Amino acid sequence: MSCKSIYPFVAIVGQEQMKLSLYLNLINPTLSGVLIRGEKGTAKSTAVRALADILPMIKVVKDCPFQLAPSDGMSLCRECFHVDCRERRSTGNHVESQRRHIKVVELPVGATEDRVVGTMDLEHAIRKGEKRIEPGLLAAAHRGILYVDEVNLLDDHVVDVLLDAAAMGVSTIEREGISFSHPARFVLVGTMNPEEGELRPQLLDRFGLSVRVEGIADRESRVTVMERRVAFDENPMAFARQWEGQSRTLVERIEAARHLYPEVTINREELFTIADFCLDVGVDGHRGDIMMMKAAKTLAAFDNRRKVEKSDVEAAAELALPHRMRRQPLMEINDNTNKIKEMHR
Amino acid sequence: MNIKTSYPFPAIVGQEELKISLILNAINPGVGGVLIRGEKGTAKSTAVRALAALLPEIEVVEGCLLALSPEEAAAGRCEGCGLCARQGGAVRRPVRVITLPLNATEDRLAGGIDFEKTTRDGRRTVQPGLLARAHRGILYVDEVNLLDDHLVDMILAAAAAGDNRIEREGISFSHPARFILVGTMNPEEGELRPQFLDRFGFSVEVTAETDRELRVLTMEQRETFDAAPASFIEQFAAETRELARRIEKARRLLPKVVMAGRLRALISELCIEARVAGHRADLIIEQAALALAAFSERLKVEDEDITRVAPLTLRHRRREPGPPPPPPEKKPHGNSHGEEPAEEESEQEENPSQDGQAGEEEKPPPEAKPEQDPGETGDSSGTPDENKEPTKPVNTEARKKVFEVGATFRVKPFTVRKDRLFRRGSGRRSRSRICGRQGRYVKSTMPRGGKDVALDATLRAAAPYQRHRQSDCAITIRPEDIWEKVRERRIGNFLLFVVDASGSMGARGRMTATKGAIMSLLLDTYQKRDKVAMVSFNKAEARLALPPTSSIDMAARLLSELPVGGRTPLNAALVKADEVLRGQLVRDPTLRPIVVLITDGRSNEALGNGKPMDECLELARRLSCEERARFILVDTEEQGLIRFGLAAKIAEALGARYFRTAELKADALLDLIKKKT
Repeated sequence: MSCKSIYPFVAIVGQEQMKLSLYLNLINPTLSGVLIRGEKGTAKSTAVRALADILPMIKVVKDCPFQLAPSDGMSLCRECFHVDCRERRSTGNHVESQRRHIKVVELPVGATEDRVVGTMDLEHAIRKGEKRIEPGLLAAAHRGILYVDEVNLLDDHVVDVLLDAAAMGVSTIEREGISFSHPARFVLVGTMNPEEGELRPQLLDRFGLSVRVEGIADRESRVTVMERRVAFDENPMAFARQWEGQSRTLVERIEAARHLYPEVTINREELFTIADFCLDVGVDGHRGDIMMMKAAKTLAAFDNRRKVEKSDVEAAAELALPHRMRRQPLMEINDNTNKIKEMHR
Repeated sequence: MNIKTSYPFPAIVGQEELKISLILNAINPGVGGVLIRGEKGTAKSTAVRALAALLPEIEVVEGCLLALSPEEAAAGRCEGCGLCARQGGAVRRPVRVITLPLNATEDRLAGGIDFEKTTRDGRRTVQPGLLARAHRGILYVDEVNLLDDHLVDMILAAAAAGDNRIEREGISFSHPARFILVGTMNPEEGELRPQFLDRFGFSVEVTAETDRELRVLTMEQRETFDAAPASFIEQFAAETRELARRIEKARRLLPKVVMAGRLRALISELCIEARVAGHRADLIIEQAALALAAFSERLKVEDEDITRVAPLTLRHRRREPGPPPPPPEKKPHGNSHGEEPAEEESEQEENPSQDGQAGEEEKPPPEAKPEQDPGETGDSSGTPDENKEPTKPVNTEARKKVFEVGATFRVKPFTVRKDRLFRRGSGRRSRSRICGRQGRYVKSTMPRGGKDVALDATLRAAAPYQRHRQSDCAITIRPEDIWEKVRERRIGNFLLFVVDASGSMGARGRMTATKGAIMSLLLDTYQKRDKVAMVSFNKAEARLALPPTSSIDMAARLLSELPVGGRTPLNAALVKADEVLRGQLVRDPTLRPIVVLITDGRSNEALGNGKPMDECLELARRLSCEERARFILVDTEEQGLIRFGLAAKIAEALGARYFRTAELKADALLDLIKKKT
């Protein structure tokens, strides 16, 4: 992937909520993703693509098609076709591992089910007469980010598959004579334009956070957007170099927050605040509570604090709740945001 | 799988009903499974996955792919199987939880040909599917209401017979398949077919805890688990073991538990009171009560056992107040989904429209009850309307009408003609070739560049050349031998209603009639797994009142709450309709949407500076350029007054079929769409 021709993440003007939500997910993948809702041309897709710049590193078994960590169990490896590493792992020998950035895997709207979940490698089957699995996008996205542009246009079938995998953290393949399952825990990042239709509530709930992006109303910022875009188009390399320093600072901050996160604590009092919030706005189920708590803790970590404060909880409510309050199809999601803001006062 | 990393069962906060249902199933397979219904994020899936750690052990024949018990093997079930060496030794292993993913293909569910062995040995070998693996275990389907119908059919067939027959790709094989069906679902996404519903012994409704303390506890535990799963599981290990031990003990105790005859009478009383169909409920209550007594370490069933399990069993079978699914399904013969093609034609004649009209007057709608519930729980407060008062009477009237029409009409089938286009999607409306890998394998064809190989045909094609193609393999297949599968299944259509809700529509119950018609269509739509969307327009705007959805509940609620009044921004509505259509067609270019426009045509709100009517006609012409969509226009203009005939002009511009108010009776509108297609 040619990282150099990607618009640098830090050079995106404004859209602080969206950027913040993406940072939070990089810090804490159990937030399980963010839904970015907004009109056309608001740097939704640009932001997600630009993430490649600032992704944290993970340790994986070299060339593992399932992105396993060296410390993961081997139950999967027994069935894996990757013979060289399978043998090494089963004999307890050292396996080669590598550190690399987590991946952003794009799920195109027109993707077929077999590409998403994986299927039998036909070529191999015919040539060798052996069954072998050809891993799908879900395998590639394990421990990484699965990005769906225009997620509201996704085929129902694929949505079902996503729901299935997201619910279990495991993708199970039962097709064409293949029976196989592999871990698939990914951060689901979706962008959508609400004008094109809404998401199914069940899928909506799988996104830990949601943000709304709008065109910037400030004249000066708009000019900055144009200037930067022109500068980037003219000379992407130079532009990227210009932002390198800031990028690095950000990566370090995210990395530090990742390490800090396990140490962040939250008072019972704040937890009660969260529970009250969720009860007041009437979210379905408990995922709202859990996500809000996680978001609050991650915000604290991002701020380099070990303790969750009230402001974190309030900020978390704005990220974690708007899309969960939607009990009525007609109600706009922004109304919810406003309502949440009012509740703070 | 992954017992190691699944959330421990005892650590689930609250949800006692859910937990006891799963435990009773683990004790006594006779309970026959559980359907877990509930909103998102209520530990539905978590609980089922956690169950795996608690399951007792059973004896199976060693190496048997069909999970046969030694008794079954002794009874001759092994004859003609040939899948294992038949050493006959028995081993003990825990009951398995087999996950059926939504994307499973038919051959993996029911079993199919074993590709690897077949090519290696040149002999057809069966590869048993999930139904075989789930024998004597638990078949678990997450989001079970999203499961494809052809898979549901297979599960039903196997569950009914306790036996699964494979008749495909030249294989004929049968094996026992008695399993406990456990499913989770979120009713927002659509309901289950009644017949499938009945296969679940229990149904449990789960809701989020409303207690603050419990919610906080939930959060705390989840976070501890996410931070360090292993130590969290360790923390609960003792409790988990204790529970597993209790289940094991109860299982041993179960055969000794007895039930007094008087209690059987109590059970049948409960069942009669609930007006359940058939006798399955009685049997399940009995089995569950036995299990509960055993779990409580008693040898005698007591009244409280029965009163505790009865609601679990009867909830989804109760027929009077009933769950939301639409009325036609409540007829005993209403669940003939499987053999619809045969019935479609005959039923048209059976349901003359008078039946419907006659029934309308006297039947007080029992179905109105569940429908009102959601309205009361907070939704009504959200309807932002100043003209609520004038709409109220219309609403209630509409609701009545709506339900009566729904209850008495069996919508005649209307489908889009079968064509040769390959589609994706699911549903039960029109038969179509399917380009994915689901659906029935109907025949094989020369390759189209896909990867869906028809193995039987491919082997047949390769067979004659084997002598000349000497190689190490038992069989040599060359690319030119490959045949592909043609699959077929029913898919849903997409109906877009564009409803005029301006002031003029409120007169003389016209809206009521319109709503009644839409409602009947919605009910039909639900069963055919169509998608519907509704654009309503009044005052100064057109709104996508109902985004494309397959949730009948949502659509029905919305329809009854649709307010009437204000001006007629027909132009904005056409633009909106175009937008919705385009969105759908981008998703699925092979879609053939049907647009039903219901209006009096008096467009009086222009989008630009021109005259509203001129603009409207221009928009209509543009909309009609979309050749894939069909249009129907229903003119609701009052007869006898001075007629403007505006709707007719719009219909002409749209290339739509045009009908007048007089024809706008529920049955008339339905007929109309059917004629059209």
